[in-house]
Amino acid sequence: MIDALPISETLSPTTQDELVVAVAEACRTRTAIYPVGGGTSLDYGLPAKAPGLALSLAGLKRVIDFPARDLTVTVEAGITLAELDALLATEGQWLPIEVPQAGRATLGGVVATAWCGPRRYGWGQVRDYVIGISAVDGRGLPFKGGGRVVKNVAGYDFCKLLTGSLGTLGVIAQITLRTKPRPAQSAIVACRFHDWAVAEKRLADLVASAIRPAAIEIVTGPAWNDLLPPTTPAAAGWLLVGLDGSDEQVSWMIDQLHAEWRAAGVTKSETIEPAGAAALWSRLTEFSAGADPASTPCPLAVKASLRPSAVVEFVRLVLEIDPAASVQAHAGSGVVVVRFADFPAAAVSRGLIGRLQPAAAASGGRLVVLSSTHTSELTRQAVWGGVTAADTWMRKVKTQFDPENLLNPGRFVY
Amino acid sequence: MSLAIPLQVVDELAELLGRTAVLSAHSDLVVFECDGFVIEKTCPDVVVFPTTTEQVAGVVRICNRYGLTFVPRGAGTSLAGGCLPVGGGVMIALTRMRQILEINLRDRYAVVQPGVVNIWLTNALKGTGYHYAPDPSSQGACTIGGNVATNSGGPHTLKYGVTVNHTLAIEAVMADGSIAQFGGPTEDPVGLDLVGTLVGSEGTLAIVTKIWTRLTPDPQGVRTLLAIFDSVDDATGAISEIIGVGIVPAALEMMDQGILVAIEAASHFGFPLDAAAILLIEVDGLEAGLDRQRDQITQICTQAGAREVRQARDAKERQKLWKCRKTAFAAVGRLSSSYCTQDGVVPRTKLPHIQRRITEIGAKYGVRIVNVFHAGDGNIHPVLLFDERNPQEIANVLAAGGEILEECIAIGGSVTGEHGIGVEKISLMTKLFTPTDLDAMRRLRQAFNPDDRLSPGKMLPTAGACGLEQRHPGRRAAL
Repeated sequence: MIDALPISETLSPTTQDELVVAVAEACRTRTAIYPVGGGTSLDYGLPAKAPGLALSLAGLKRVIDFPARDLTVTVEAGITLAELDALLATEGQWLPIEVPQAGRATLGGVVATAWCGPRRYGWGQVRDYVIGISAVDGRGLPFKGGGRVVKNVAGYDFCKLLTGSLGTLGVIAQITLRTKPRPAQSAIVACRFHDWAVAEKRLADLVASAIRPAAIEIVTGPAWNDLLPPTTPAAAGWLLVGLDGSDEQVSWMIDQLHAEWRAAGVTKSETIEPAGAAALWSRLTEFSAGADPASTPCPLAVKASLRPSAVVEFVRLVLEIDPAASVQAHAGSGVVVVRFADFPAAAVSRGLIGRLQPAAAASGGRLVVLSSTHTSELTRQAVWGGVTAADTWMRKVKTQFDPENLLNPGRFVY
Repeated sequence: MSLAIPLQVVDELAELLGRTAVLSAHSDLVVFECDGFVIEKTCPDVVVFPTTTEQVAGVVRICNRYGLTFVPRGAGTSLAGGCLPVGGGVMIALTRMRQILEINLRDRYAVVQPGVVNIWLTNALKGTGYHYAPDPSSQGACTIGGNVATNSGGPHTLKYGVTVNHTLAIEAVMADGSIAQFGGPTEDPVGLDLVGTLVGSEGTLAIVTKIWTRLTPDPQGVRTLLAIFDSVDDATGAISEIIGVGIVPAALEMMDQGILVAIEAASHFGFPLDAAAILLIEVDGLEAGLDRQRDQITQICTQAGAREVRQARDAKERQKLWKCRKTAFAAVGRLSSSYCTQDGVVPRTKLPHIQRRITEIGAKYGVRIVNVFHAGDGNIHPVLLFDERNPQEIANVLAAGGEILEECIAIGGSVTGEHGIGVEKISLMTKLFTPTDLDAMRRLRQAFNPDDRLSPGKMLPTAGACGLEQRHPGRRAAL
């Protein structure tokens, strides 16, 4: 799995002290360090070029403290999301962040990539849950920010700084999270649409609806074809609304949503039965990584962040470029994940940089590459988009935390 | 009093901003010598009132050219001295940048200038079904720019999150006078989360000139409860139990007898003055199941020893209750000429413990302490009463406050939940953080503010000068 990295060896510290020593030693010899969790996102970012060593966090997975009645948990970075979920479930709690391949993906990796799935609309993002963090910087010095309480403004917020930093400012060693009570009930209500203008109308209505969805998803393309019974004429896509809450809340929302849709002229909508809903949540979680069994080889996967009102227009552009693309939009949050079926290398500059990135920018947003087989085309411009004034300040921060550019070099925005 | 900065600077500032946007007479400046933290006072040399981002950038460039320090200021409601112009210099008051630039309901965000008062945004949203969620008690006066600087909370942030959870993007004037935008009206900006890093940086990394903020849908229903306890211990026990069983109310506030007496005298609400403590508990959201949540909370409070739990009769009574809570600090004026409030945080199960220790520490130093706080997230606000003319009382208050915060640290908490470190709590940073933690913070500051001209003397201890040994309100002349 770590073949993607230009590494000569893999170190696997089992304590945080060993981690500090390993980083410090690599720093002393100016060796590039590639932190690795479950190895599920190694193709995220620019391809690594500088030879170095892999630093596996898989051995650092102790549960430091789980004071359940405080709704917080402190764990080492190598714990997998599945292990964390099982731990929290013992107290009826959860971390409502959905991550592909939870059996392998580590919490450290999730924090480093700031990855979150459909429930971000109702439950928030990774950055909203990290309340304490420890890491080892590019000089081999350990540092921490935040703490173990849910409200805390003492000192600079390293939790935010490191969340989404792709391991480029420090190797994340330990994380404290706020947790949430696990909702008693979840459901998915779905309707198909044949016309994209109608889809935008449905989305706009949902923003003003009396219900409080956990997720608002639009899916279309071959990866989703088998999902729901086919219709004639073929639907353009599906609108899936995820609902979480108490039994009363969820049943009220189901009824209310069907009623709102009926009033708006939707002739057919359905509540996915519980077993089907669980399977569907799982697919909605796994799609981006192509870990879904139904997924097909994908030359290019991208993620666009847009104003929610621009989602439908963007999806139409995607389908114009590649009618066989599979799309999942966290439409309420304005985040669109696309797995192209047909995207030749030559189209990277024309289609990706020339059309998709400007479309995202027109909405005040951005577009990044999640993975691609066209490694030779993966420039900074292609993967992360253009440079802005903010990048200047990111680079200055990077220089302070990793002056020799040893942590995950060449993969992130600087 | 002679100016500590060249007259030429005042002229240049006046040329840039207009004469009416520059204050330099001592009688004008004295208004800006402190914020809500009254124990330390320093006059700025000049106060300027820019109205545009470009003007802020121009002011910063003038400051840099003359090697002057500069500090941004909103409404000056900080309780930790965040707006104190340490060493004098130029104060950049952002209160004339007070336009709401955009409200976009479809995409659930608003764009505001930093001087927009918190409540103005919610008022502007009335009737739309949305509001701005962070609601600090000072929301009628404090600015959103100030909220961003301190990552403000408020009672309802228990459920809805603090300022950073609602901030999508920031435009800022950097310490070098350049302008940068971090993030945009969309989620998942590319690169480092510098928005999250700038929020709560207490004006030491950049001067925020525009804010893109999330709008929150109004709840469909709300139930506001008043639980009355004969013992503080029972009240704090009830709080731990509510959170412990997994109910996260919209707000969960505690007021003890000391503060209730003051609030009652000011509001005539009808609070029972013989109660040891009351809890103000609000659940909101979908109507479905709301009554059941209310009943569950009532039951927990009753089991914990509440002598009475009653519900606000109507929206009017609810509003009055919240007004009482949010004007609690103002009501303290009835108890004492001066007060100092602490902002510690403890794990929520440790609330009974910290409350007992606060009582003991108050007794030990002979300091009267009343309590009103955001109980649901473990954020305590003991209010220490004193007479600012009595040096011994000030010394006792500082010692007692310090001991309370050290106890918070000892039981796994923090010294500030929402007010910030400012100048007030600098000496406590070494107790919360290791030298390498603080070194990392210094390096972050170095990246943004290498000459330390922007808000010097805040948040991070400098080598050799750890904390202030204050015996009386210092009114320091500009250095």
